[in-house]
Amino acid sequence: MIEYALLAMGTSIMVFGALGILRFPDVYTRLHASTKCDTGGALSILIATALIIPAPPMIKVKILVLTFLIVMINPMISHAIARGAHRSGVEPKVVVDMYARDNP
Amino acid sequence: MAGEDFLVNPLGWAVLVLLGTSFVLVYRVLAGPTLPDRIVGLNTITTKVVVVIALLAGLLKEYFLLDLAIVLLMVNAVGGLILAKHFERRGLHD
Amino acid sequence: MPFYLKERIEDIKARHIVRRYYGKKLPRAEKIAMTWMAIMAFWLIVSGTLSWQNLAVGGSISLIISSFMYENLTDDLRYEGSFIKKVLTLAFIQIPQYAFIMIFQLLESNFRVAKHALFLGINPGIVRLETDLRSATGTTLLANSITLTPGTLTLDVAKKLDKTYLYVHWIDVKTLNMKKAGDEIKGDVERWLGKIFW
Repeated sequence: MIEYALLAMGTSIMVFGALGILRFPDVYTRLHASTKCDTGGALSILIATALIIPAPPMIKVKILVLTFLIVMINPMISHAIARGAHRSGVEPKVVVDMYARDNP
Repeated sequence: MAGEDFLVNPLGWAVLVLLGTSFVLVYRVLAGPTLPDRIVGLNTITTKVVVVIALLAGLLKEYFLLDLAIVLLMVNAVGGLILAKHFERRGLHD
Repeated sequence: MPFYLKERIEDIKARHIVRRYYGKKLPRAEKIAMTWMAIMAFWLIVSGTLSWQNLAVGGSISLIISSFMYENLTDDLRYEGSFIKKVLTLAFIQIPQYAFIMIFQLLESNFRVAKHALFLGINPGIVRLETDLRSATGTTLLANSITLTPGTLTLDVAKKLDKTYLYVHWIDVKTLNMKKAGDEIKGDVERWLGKIFW
């Protein structure tokens, strides 16, 4: 029963992440929605898949390795995109910007 | 696998919801105001496609698809890093 | 004690800590063995069979790889104890602890992003934090964890005078004080990482 709850929760997290990417005002807040919701949704959906499918245990461990890789890789790309966007001159819509003050 | 089997299984419904979500996200790729917006949309779509491939591997019992999912994830990582380095050096003239 | 002397003594103490940790590197054989274990586990999971040809080929090739790539993965691990105890505590106590901390943080951050996406009550800003971790691997893991905890996203890392600063995009700015913001954002994760990396 818990695996189907995980599956439903993961898909709804993915839907809210897509909603956030469509509605937020600038690149950095969109990156928030993209990174967190993608990672959490993929985590719960893949764990649910590994619990549901009737497969040999080696396959289930492979699905868990895929989950681990997603959790490690996704924040790394988001750092790279955020840093590149700030350095190439995309203005963030923020109330305080210490990064622009320290690196003029 | 026939179509009615696909819609009985909850995994099939998850695949359909994820495909619909990534179809909605194509709007951000096409109409993003700047280049980083498009790249954010592309990365999100690729992660969703990785999850869809893993779900299909469980659904169709073709377990070699998991290796394809791992390879696609790594290619996505390298591509994202290269694009980020590119517009950090060259600016936003796309 | 006057205040300028106090600052100077704290500076000397920090440098002493750095030098002591440089002296506590793992020996070379242990580094090679740890890298071999990691590569071999990945090979076994990806290849998916347990026949003896598979084991022989994977073991020899990963031994060749780990004999000249041993510095990339385990150069920043520093702590004492025997080798078996080190590997066992790393695999069975510390990594599950970290996963347990991070899963609840990730759940909370998903709910918070859903709330922000529905009601749009955001107040974003970029603040600067200071961290005690100095190594590359520790800083990377701390940055990844900060990105996955609720409401924050790491932008960049800067190193000045053997101190590490993190620039964090915070979706709901509450304070600009570096100490208070650090307590609010980093939380338990930095203490956990400080046990393993330096």
